[in-house]
Amino acid sequence: MNWRLILLNRFVLVPGAIVVAIALWNLYVATHDHGIVTGRVVDAAGRPVAGATVSLWTYNFTTYEQKAEVKTDAEGVFRFTDNPSHRIQIGAEKPGVGRSQRIPVFLYFRAQDTTLDTPLRLSAPG
Amino acid sequence: MMLRYPRWPIHSALVLASFVMLVPFYWVLKTSLTGDNIYAYPPSLLPRNPHLFFYVDVWYAIPFARYFLNSVIVSLIAVAGNVVFNAMAAYALTHGFRGKQLVLMLFLSCMMVPFQATIIPAYLITGRLGLLDSWLGLALPQCSTIICIFVFKASFDAVPRSLIDAARIDGLSEWRIIWHIMMPLSKSAIATNVILAFIWSWNNFLWPLIMTRSADMQTLPLGLARFLSYQEDTTGALYAFCIMVLAPGLLLFLLAQKEFIRGLTSGATKG
Repeated sequence: MNWRLILLNRFVLVPGAIVVAIALWNLYVATHDHGIVTGRVVDAAGRPVAGATVSLWTYNFTTYEQKAEVKTDAEGVFRFTDNPSHRIQIGAEKPGVGRSQRIPVFLYFRAQDTTLDTPLRLSAPG
Repeated sequence: MMLRYPRWPIHSALVLASFVMLVPFYWVLKTSLTGDNIYAYPPSLLPRNPHLFFYVDVWYAIPFARYFLNSVIVSLIAVAGNVVFNAMAAYALTHGFRGKQLVLMLFLSCMMVPFQATIIPAYLITGRLGLLDSWLGLALPQCSTIICIFVFKASFDAVPRSLIDAARIDGLSEWRIIWHIMMPLSKSAIATNVILAFIWSWNNFLWPLIMTRSADMQTLPLGLARFLSYQEDTTGALYAFCIMVLAPGLLLFLLAQKEFIRGLTSGATKG
């Protein structure tokens, strides 16, 4: 039996490539699904804001509901460690400094570890 | 000297026809990547800021993996049933026997009866067999189709009679003649059967709707209907779901299109 002929044809190679891609994707998901979301909070001048309250909202198919709250450190960095969702919003506020817009964040799978590219910028209302 | 007609008119007509047929597919794909409202004016021909997040929404909005598994298993059973039963029926029809014309007439007349007319007896039979709400029950009415029997028959008719007689003289049983002589010579007919059975089973809506009781046994077309019922305002996710349902059938067709076309046209010409 010519195994080379049997294995090297499009009816084997294409499904095989799909199976390999699915396996690799699942491996990636398994190693990057800790629910960690990190980012920075800055003021209107771009300086880090320490002690700002950052909120995480998760999508439940009709609305967003608040899931967690954390405070920024001295560098203005925040870190959520238990995001369960693939579709979230993040917003920050600090009395006396201002409030940021809620930023929608779309992830490729639930609890995907991610770092926000752009910082949350606090600005005084009005 | 042979007179050659210019080819560009027919090529232009074919390009135009292809364009008309492909535009809806393109539009579904574009909307699944952008979520643009289909009624937006002016319409944008190219996708703006395309992304895959609507596909992620679909994956988590419904038990997609379970529906996909159900569809795959049911389609595989239907494909296997079609190849085996249709080949057997077609082989019988290549022989001369009393009442053959009547059987052929019956087959042809049965093609005119729509499935909706036979769905109640099909349901009752499936129920009596205890196969309601099961994979086998979902596949059972699709395990043999008359069109595919005729595809096999056309292919088997093209096999030289002397080859079958030689096999019989060598002591092969009728079973082995089908599987060792006829089938290897009918690869195009097999591909046609596989593709048609797969696509019909994959897209079937009415039969799974009637005979499934639990949500776990639903197939992808039912999932699409269910998805519509509670995600009616999510255009992008709906179109992403359509693409996810369409993709396996398209992939199978693209993989086997050469054999498919050959299988459909074999027996169409004589001589």
